[in-house]
Amino acid sequence: MTRYTLWSATKKAALYLLLCTVTVAVCFPLIWALSTSLKPKSEIFATPPTLIPHSTTFENYEALLSGRQQYYQTGEKSQAAGPTPAQFFTRWFVNSVIVTSGSTLISIVVSTLAAYSLTRFRYWGRNMIPYFSLLGYMVPSIIFVFPLFLMMVRLELTDNLLSLVFGYVCITLPFCMWLMWAFMRSIPIEIEEAALIDGASRYQVFANVVLPTAMPGIIAASIFSMIVSWNDYLFGRVFINSLDNLTLTVGVMLFFEGTHVDWGLLMAASVLMTVPMAVLFMALQRHLVAGFGAGAVKG
Amino acid sequence: MSRFSFLSSDRAVGLIFIAPFVVMALVFMVYPIAEAVRMAFFSYNPLRPDLITYVGLANFEFIFSDPLFWSSFTQGTIWTLLSILFQTVFGVGIALLLHRKLFGMAIFRGMLLFPYIVPTVVIALIWRWIFNPEIGVVNYGLLSIGLINEPIYWLSTPTMAMASTIMLNVWKYTPFVVICVLARLQAVPLELYDAAKVDGAGAFRRFIDVTLPQLREVLIVVIVFRTIWTFNKFEEIYLLTKGGPGTSTFNLAVYSFEQSMASLRLGVGAATGVVMMIMLMIGSIVYLRVAGFGTEEKST
Repeated sequence: MTRYTLWSATKKAALYLLLCTVTVAVCFPLIWALSTSLKPKSEIFATPPTLIPHSTTFENYEALLSGRQQYYQTGEKSQAAGPTPAQFFTRWFVNSVIVTSGSTLISIVVSTLAAYSLTRFRYWGRNMIPYFSLLGYMVPSIIFVFPLFLMMVRLELTDNLLSLVFGYVCITLPFCMWLMWAFMRSIPIEIEEAALIDGASRYQVFANVVLPTAMPGIIAASIFSMIVSWNDYLFGRVFINSLDNLTLTVGVMLFFEGTHVDWGLLMAASVLMTVPMAVLFMALQRHLVAGFGAGAVKG
Repeated sequence: MSRFSFLSSDRAVGLIFIAPFVVMALVFMVYPIAEAVRMAFFSYNPLRPDLITYVGLANFEFIFSDPLFWSSFTQGTIWTLLSILFQTVFGVGIALLLHRKLFGMAIFRGMLLFPYIVPTVVIALIWRWIFNPEIGVVNYGLLSIGLINEPIYWLSTPTMAMASTIMLNVWKYTPFVVICVLARLQAVPLELYDAAKVDGAGAFRRFIDVTLPQLREVLIVVIVFRTIWTFNKFEEIYLLTKGGPGTSTFNLAVYSFEQSMASLRLGVGAATGVVMMIMLMIGSIVYLRVAGFGTEEKST
């Protein structure tokens, strides 16, 4: 018996060791980015490199959040070099928040209404629409980004955040539709019928009975939609051409332009860009996994 | 009154609720895709809208006789196959590890799934930093433990650039495989393992004889989906290497983007897109054949 427990304890320890090794290996790039972002300029290039900074500094974050000009260059030339990406960081952040929330709101409202209609009413095509939607969702964005761009040109929406909201709706709506449809289908109709018989109108039933029950599906679809919109690069790159209207993803890639790459600043920008998604992920992780279960998720 | 009764009649509610979706789907999905197909048959320079002309199949002739198209196709295929191979192997491995009831498992699971939500731009930036040949920590580590004698130029030699993009892709999307496999593992009946144990099967035999057959279906679905998506990926390559050095990490998506954006040949870019869509359709048909179109209806 003691031999058995000793053996199982060893097995457990080995398992933990393996788990920790894998986790550290997977998370290393992120840890290293965080560490770099907290180092003063002198320590970033130090050999041997330090994992935990000897002197922690928040100057990179301060530079981004206060939009300090020419943070990394000193001397006469700095004034002539024009605006730096760091100056626009907060603006880009706000832009990203706007387009992400806008497109998510539209996708969720439209797909929830549609899913309810498709699962509760009988008409021609009600079983085909979700599958076509799923098919549309498989089409890679590179195919419709240019036709959409030409459409935005005609609507005079280029270089406008609204064009991005519509662009992201194109990518997120089909999947939200599929997910909400799968979810709505699994909600039993009996409660609604009871409420209808009691004299409630369809709109009342929808608002007071269906929506609360559908909340987990709505949350999963929202997370998906927010991640896709927040992380997109392609649409922002094609649709927007002024520094003022860029989103974070496209803007931060501009840090590479010029002769000098400030890695500390870049890593701080990376961390700040990941934080909103990380918070969302941690807060809603179990819903996310539930949502994954309802259908396949685009990667 | 009659207006009100129309709005509250059941049929009308159903139509009102579906209407926004139908309109949006027509404007933002059907139209752009139809337009992309139409563009493939035109010579389309966005700077000279007056010169748009119907060219028949010339755009397709152009890409099929362009060596870069074919090398993009081959490189994209290699990129896809290797990415999927590693994602599947690591994904199943990590899922098996996480499928244990141990203290603190939720934390491990959270951390191992985390890469999936990191923006591709951020991963590309971090990759460029840690794989930097002179100052990157990866080369430093490899040099100091003596695995290599001189710095590896991760992003500036064709082979290593391809390897770096594969690593990025595997790192980001393995969690997807983990989630799907983990969900399936939780549904494997425990009696099967007990029976195998009674029959004297060791851990490895139990994996081969019990776990793997149970995972077969989910793995097929995951592999087909991931193959389709990976083949069409743009950002994972473009943000890390811009398709370079030279054109050594081009895939069809990058080829299409460069034709449209840099060479302003929107027609050629669209034709490439159409070829990609046809391959996607073939892939989807394979998927439907393998997975069985009606099975889901039956199970719910």
